[in-house]
Amino acid sequence: MTWLAWRQHRTHAIVGAAALAALAVLLLITGLQMASQYHSAIAACTAAHRCGNLASTLFLGSHAVGFLVIMTLGVPALLGVFWGAPLVAQELETGTSQFAWMQTITRKHWLTVKAGWILLAAAAWAGAVSALVTWWSGPDNALQLDAFKPGRFDITGIVPVGYALFATALGIAAGAVTRRTVPALAVTLAGFIAARFMITELVRPHYMTAITTTGTSPQVPPGSWQLAQGMIGPGGKVLPTDGSTCTSGCVPHGYRAFITYQPASRYWAFQGIETALFVVLAAALIAVTAIVVLRRDA
Amino acid sequence: MTPVIETRRLSKRYRGVTALSDCTITVPEGRIAALIGPNGAGKTTLLRLLSGLAKPGSGEVAVLGGTPRQDPAFLADVGFLAQDIPLYRRFTAADHIAIGGHLNPRWDAASARQRLTSLGIPLGQAVGTLSGGQRAQVALALTLAKRPRVLLLDEPVAALDPLARRQFLAILAEAVARGGLTVVLSSHLVTDLERTCDHLILLASSRVQLCGDIDTVLAEHQVLVGPRKDTTAIEKAHTLVQATHTPRQATLLIRRNGPVIDPAFQATDVGLEELVLAYMGQDATIPALGHLTAAGDDQ
Amino acid sequence: MISFRVDGRSVVPPYLQIVQQVRQALRMGVLEVGDKLPTVREVVAATAINPNTVLKAYRDLERDGLVEPRAGHGTFVLRRPPGPPPGTHSRLGRSLARWVREARGAGLDDESIESLLRVTLQAADEEETA
Repeated sequence: MTWLAWRQHRTHAIVGAAALAALAVLLLITGLQMASQYHSAIAACTAAHRCGNLASTLFLGSHAVGFLVIMTLGVPALLGVFWGAPLVAQELETGTSQFAWMQTITRKHWLTVKAGWILLAAAAWAGAVSALVTWWSGPDNALQLDAFKPGRFDITGIVPVGYALFATALGIAAGAVTRRTVPALAVTLAGFIAARFMITELVRPHYMTAITTTGTSPQVPPGSWQLAQGMIGPGGKVLPTDGSTCTSGCVPHGYRAFITYQPASRYWAFQGIETALFVVLAAALIAVTAIVVLRRDA
Repeated sequence: MTPVIETRRLSKRYRGVTALSDCTITVPEGRIAALIGPNGAGKTTLLRLLSGLAKPGSGEVAVLGGTPRQDPAFLADVGFLAQDIPLYRRFTAADHIAIGGHLNPRWDAASARQRLTSLGIPLGQAVGTLSGGQRAQVALALTLAKRPRVLLLDEPVAALDPLARRQFLAILAEAVARGGLTVVLSSHLVTDLERTCDHLILLASSRVQLCGDIDTVLAEHQVLVGPRKDTTAIEKAHTLVQATHTPRQATLLIRRNGPVIDPAFQATDVGLEELVLAYMGQDATIPALGHLTAAGDDQ
Repeated sequence: MISFRVDGRSVVPPYLQIVQQVRQALRMGVLEVGDKLPTVREVVAATAINPNTVLKAYRDLERDGLVEPRAGHGTFVLRRPPGPPPGTHSRLGRSLARWVREARGAGLDDESIESLLRVTLQAADEEETA
């Protein structure tokens, strides 16, 4: 069955490997350039004791490559749509599932091998892209200290692997339920975007209780993820702006500035929690797929 | 000897529509059984229930003594060829033979290759580019290479030209002649089936109308032609399948319960096609041929 | 080697067609004593008829003493059916063809010819029993 799965998805594997190789070459070349660019700039400004403004004056790399790197946000969605959705749906649609299921393999074996290999491939592919991007972003993150921000957080570290597993599992499940490739594609894309958006906006900020610091001019550790800021008054009343609504200044009325944030030290904990969350969702989707494929009439 | 296929009061519904109702059939070993019936009668449903691709709503089904199930032992013994001949269109026949070798413990690749080459079917060409007849032969060769003990075929020759049909049935019959194989194939084309099949399962309106050895079934039926008169005596003694009346003449197709003792009527044998049409037409009324009526209806 | 032709449209059942064709072949000399009949598989592969039909025909021939099965080797012709030697058939066939040409030339249609033949056969039967 592994042999058959390989023959069926050989083209996917080859295209994927080629794309990965191209990306790797591009990122390696530009990444090395950016690293040396960064180190020279640091050396120069350290000597002149003028490194404070570096973040706003130095731009590393090119806009085009930077844009491409941001686009890797879409990698899990692509995997879900092109590798996940057709896996079961296409076979159900064309009827080749009937051919396969009347050979001397059980549906369970068929599904396990097909889904197993594709999930593994998706995780590996996304992991490779993430590793490249994380390495490439090193100088930029050191400069801008924005690794924890949504947009950067999502394309580095281990979360892309979790997203890829989720998207692929969603594609497979959608295909098994709708039995047709095109509806499965649509459901996968929409479902993935919705899930990612909702979790990033509504759930991620709460993985651990955020820290709030108040004062006249509160400071947060560098590289932290700022969730909210404004003015907080007696009785907990919050003014979201910097006090411009207070006509003669807010401080005399007992307002103090605050910033709610997640400290940079929690970056890896958050990566771990979010990855685990998406892996659990992926597992649930695979369970749904198994029930649908194994129990339903062919 | 236990029959290879046995069902008892088998029923299946899809989305509120009854596909198969109260079906009880048996197929003895070594038979080539013809599953005949109009579209929508439940032929495909019955084959899917026998193969294990679908599960019964109610009733029992036993193939080779066991319930159809997702189990390598069962799957190795039972072959199924679906109506639209699903194959991997981009793969060649040789690829499919290799696939079969990987997925089946008992696999006779040599016989499949030999069958296809003797028919002149190219092994190295993508299966999607072959003609309908050639694809059907590829699918049959693959199903036979598995060396099943039961083979279920859903309208395998429907889309084939006469030569391709003949070749397909010849290869099928030869495989049965080797021994150890029982076949059920569904079709509309009665004349082909009459030649190759020796067992009949007739479905109409989702029910089994006839099930048995073809020669026996034909011997049980007779056409009685005679003057138009009161036929209730005959109808009570035997089962009326179809009655055709003109003002002067009555034609009755009956299933005999014992000999027919009515000198007014001339009895002739029934052919398979005529018999099948009679049973299939039981619910339908044929318009414009004004004098035809369905069984039980008297004008 | 004999090859069989099974006509699905004939009123004669397939197994009987095979029996008749074997008998005819024996009379015509196409099959001789000791010849091997085609195997069931060979017949089925050529005609697409049911294997049991062929088996039934061969059993009939065996019962009539014309053929015998030899385990592992096939079915072999044992003897010819009683009747005139092979040459007779072709000789009579030729004189019949001459007669048919004459009859048709005289204006008889096929139905009249058949009817004449039937009547003649009946009369000949009555003559024999008389």
